[in-house]
Amino acid sequence: MASGHVIKRAKYKTSPKGAGTPGVLKMTENKIMFKPNDPTSASKIDVEFRSIKGYKNTKEGSNNPPLLNLSLEQGGSYIFEFENFLDLQVCREFVGNALTKSGDAAKAKSGDTAKAKSGEAVATSDRSTVTYPDEQLISSAEMELRIKLLRENSELQNLHKKFVLGNILTESEFWATRKKLLDGDSGTKSKQRVGFKSSMILDIKPMTDGRTNKVTFNLTPEIKYQIFALKPAVHRAFLNHVPNKMTEKDFWTKYFRAEYLHSTKNAVAAAAEAAEDEELAIFLKDDDILANAARQKIRRVDPTLDMEADQGDDYMHLPDHGIFRDGSKEITDSQHEQFKRTFLQDLNRQGEVVLEGRTIDVELEDPRTVAEALAQSRQESDENAKQERLDRISRMTEMEDLQAPHDHPLAPLCIKDPRDYFDSQLLKISDDTRAGSEQLRCSLSSEEAYGSLRGSISEIKAMGLSDPVVRPEVAVMVLNGLTQNISSTKFQLGKNAQESILNSLPNTTKEELLHHWISIQELLRHFWSSYPITTSYLYAKVSRVKDAMSKIYPQLEVTNVLLRKNISM
Amino acid sequence: MVQFANVVVYSYQYLLDPKVAGYISKEMQKESVVVFDEAHNIDNVCIEALSVSVRRQTLEGARRNLNKMRQEIEKFKATDAGRLRAEYNRLVEGLAQRGNLPFTDNWLSNPALPDDILKEAVPGNIRRAEHFLHVLRRLVQYLEGRLETDNVEKEGPVGFVASINTHAGIDQKTLKFCYDRLHSLMLTLEITDTDEFLHIQTICDFATLVGTYTRGFSIIIEPFDERMPHIPDPVLQLSCHDASLAIKPVFDRFQSVVITSGTLSPIDLYPRLLNFHPVVSRSFTMSLTRDCICPMVLTRGSDQLPVSTKFDMRSDLGVVRNYGRLLLEMASVVPDGIVCFFVSYSYMDGIVNSWNENGILKEIMQHKLVFIETQDVVETTLALDNYRKACDCGRGAIFFSVARGKVAEGIDFDRHYGRLVIMFGVPFQYTLSKILLARLEYLRDTFQIKEGDFLTFDALRQAAQCVGRVIRSKADYGMMIFADKRYSRHDKRSKLPGWILSHLRDAHLNLSTDMALHIAREFLRKMAQPYDRAGGSGRKTLLSQEDVEKMGDGILNEMQY
Repeated sequence: MASGHVIKRAKYKTSPKGAGTPGVLKMTENKIMFKPNDPTSASKIDVEFRSIKGYKNTKEGSNNPPLLNLSLEQGGSYIFEFENFLDLQVCREFVGNALTKSGDAAKAKSGDTAKAKSGEAVATSDRSTVTYPDEQLISSAEMELRIKLLRENSELQNLHKKFVLGNILTESEFWATRKKLLDGDSGTKSKQRVGFKSSMILDIKPMTDGRTNKVTFNLTPEIKYQIFALKPAVHRAFLNHVPNKMTEKDFWTKYFRAEYLHSTKNAVAAAAEAAEDEELAIFLKDDDILANAARQKIRRVDPTLDMEADQGDDYMHLPDHGIFRDGSKEITDSQHEQFKRTFLQDLNRQGEVVLEGRTIDVELEDPRTVAEALAQSRQESDENAKQERLDRISRMTEMEDLQAPHDHPLAPLCIKDPRDYFDSQLLKISDDTRAGSEQLRCSLSSEEAYGSLRGSISEIKAMGLSDPVVRPEVAVMVLNGLTQNISSTKFQLGKNAQESILNSLPNTTKEELLHHWISIQELLRHFWSSYPITTSYLYAKVSRVKDAMSKIYPQLEVTNVLLRKNISM
Repeated sequence: MVQFANVVVYSYQYLLDPKVAGYISKEMQKESVVVFDEAHNIDNVCIEALSVSVRRQTLEGARRNLNKMRQEIEKFKATDAGRLRAEYNRLVEGLAQRGNLPFTDNWLSNPALPDDILKEAVPGNIRRAEHFLHVLRRLVQYLEGRLETDNVEKEGPVGFVASINTHAGIDQKTLKFCYDRLHSLMLTLEITDTDEFLHIQTICDFATLVGTYTRGFSIIIEPFDERMPHIPDPVLQLSCHDASLAIKPVFDRFQSVVITSGTLSPIDLYPRLLNFHPVVSRSFTMSLTRDCICPMVLTRGSDQLPVSTKFDMRSDLGVVRNYGRLLLEMASVVPDGIVCFFVSYSYMDGIVNSWNENGILKEIMQHKLVFIETQDVVETTLALDNYRKACDCGRGAIFFSVARGKVAEGIDFDRHYGRLVIMFGVPFQYTLSKILLARLEYLRDTFQIKEGDFLTFDALRQAAQCVGRVIRSKADYGMMIFADKRYSRHDKRSKLPGWILSHLRDAHLNLSTDMALHIAREFLRKMAQPYDRAGGSGRKTLLSQEDVEKMGDGILNEMQY
């Protein structure tokens, strides 16, 4: 793309709000030309890249149309609106490359702007007057916020200085991973809705006081809402009966009575109670709303999962076919089936509700309003389910290893198992200590040692073995000498690395280490976020990040060597 | 339609079940290549195809069918007596020419008795429609009498036929022709709604099978299920023990039959069970780009106490807790989906409830959502759908399922839908089942297959089937944990398929929970890295034709059998 040219349909505008002139934008290596569709129009452009100072573009996903703003050296700018963001992306990359080239040429003359090799990052040394040629149109408020954040947080400032000014990351890349920081401070974005806890149904448990037969259920607005969400039948009953037929208190009492009966797993008793009390029966029976919903949902599930559809094939399990009662088949108790809603079904239902998440956004204090809001939200149905289903089929039927390999380039990291390091240290240390102890104990020459051995052998020959072959004290001493160091270093290295090692280092080294650690963390975050590498831009970024990381390693090695010297001195 | 198709894909039963094969597969050419894919359970399908169970409902339904048919016959007698007479004449000449089916295509419709049926004519006593109905009525009455028993009874076909002969006056040859005689009658009476007459068809199936085979079957009458003795539900089961009977016609009829599956292991047992001589028997290793599966055998919990679903241990609280901790710990380190298989629904129900009681379930749910297979297909399908959604959105989920269940047979948990599968226990069959015992006895006497060998083989193929769900392609990766101390024994383990065994390292044979956790962490860290699919190290993910040809030479040496 760097050589050659780009031709795109675009609208030329003098201001971002204006209607613009439709036409064709053509960019060659050193020129930008715009030909309007209407040949009589005056807005014809033919400029060289040399006279372009920088460019901005709108962000994908924002509300703005795909705009590219080229600012001129002598003031003023050209704005082009593209048909889609893909075109914008292509042109932006082209402009970036072209600017680098013309910029390199210009640098010799002016030397006031330093441009990165890829043309992606341009920054000047003074941060307060930074210009962002590569920047996507950001508001001045956001800019201020960034500067403020940098001022407040020295760590952030360090990182920023190191990576952005060191041309490893661009300004926008650097801030992209800190969106939350920016959002959180500005407080403009709406808060994220809190979902359900995963273990809702397990939280509603009866408590007994142990002395009387009374069972207590604790009920909060949150729990009421959860019950409504989990059990549509209860929800419907609430809407129908409260407050016309019974008070809210009665309703909940009855509900928990049913729940309690159910939890005792006494299906017969439940059936008997239900026969007496019609309203209670609602709570005990299977939820017919759920059953209907299930029938609807089953039409939307991924066909590769749809076991109901397969059932027709499997006629062997119809009555009278095959073996009816053999060991591999399970048995069910068909009596009182409808009162035997199982715990497993409840778990499935709760998983479903948790996944759906909270659908309403009202105060939970009044159960009546909650119930009504929930009823409303249920009616809203989803339309794009069909498309989603098709997408899922194609995803499921694709065999990953039968696809031709995606030609995404790969930037292998040098990943080392931290244990290797510890193990090698351990070995080294134990070697050291062993060497030390040997020196300590037997600073003998081999002849002397041999002589001593011969001496003791002849002694044994003459006197026979003494009762303890080795004296216990000696044995313990040897054992301790050999093992203590190993186990203690292992303990220290493995567990309290923070305390024992880091704190034992000089302060400067410690800070340096921590700084490296933070840098690596930051770089790794950028590294992994650029996978899969689909564009040349990402590849350039990954290589930059990787190079930066590989530079840190020798630095660490140097620190290591220095430290060793210091310690040995 | 079948004649015009190049490839026909259908369920095994359409070829193996004589009742259906006649309608559907009769047009297949001899040169057709029959491939039984996923054939690890083929012996069970064969056995089911030739087994019949008769319950009270069946007999009541059969009586209703007989009454209906009698009315039809009366009607025909009044309006179209010639039709019945024509049928009678045809039957005198021989069953083969019945209907409008050409002579040669007919035989597969009843593969159980192909030779006899062509040579013999239908016995005289059931040639007339009303006589045949009388015979059936007597048979149904006899069966009703047999169902009224308080004890479990077991009989061979020969004894049973003799007993029918003395009590109901129906001889063996008559029984044998019941199925075809009924078929012919239904054609004559122009009965199209065969579903309505399912019950009497069942009775005739039963009669024909009993009348045809003298060995390989037994008749077992049970007044109630042993696991639920308080509910009377008498059933008379004609159970086939010999899988080779149903598949024999397929071997006879087609030139090439291929039996294949990822879990045919040990491979030499299948020819014995199905009683054939394989021309070629091969076990292929997988050509993986990297070691993307990690099987482990977990024998102990973190407290070093053994875990097992052995009958005397399965309800032990320590075992239940250790299983729970295993899942909990794994849920905290494994990303996305985890699949758990239990040995039975009742065991799963029990263990989930006790996890709930001691709070483990709640802890597990702090890491991942839980979805469960139930006996209700709709519910299970929805649970699976939600499970996938939870994996897709990054929340992660655990699916509880049952070995031998539908999920274990048909659903893939590949990629992020299953990074770990845990098999809790060894999925042995319910060994006190009368039918299983009878089959074991038959296998021992006829094929010299020891009971223990067969049970282990059956359990291990189910276990392999379960854990095999986790991987579907070379780009995928997943771990498998066999959580039972019995898996560490060589006789059990060695029956796992080769592709699992080749990745099962000696160091992973006797793990405790914490060791397994450590291995899992290592494995996941290694596998989650992007890797070179083009095969820098000589192993490619996608093989070209040249690669395959090159491998062909090497593979002859690698072949395991």
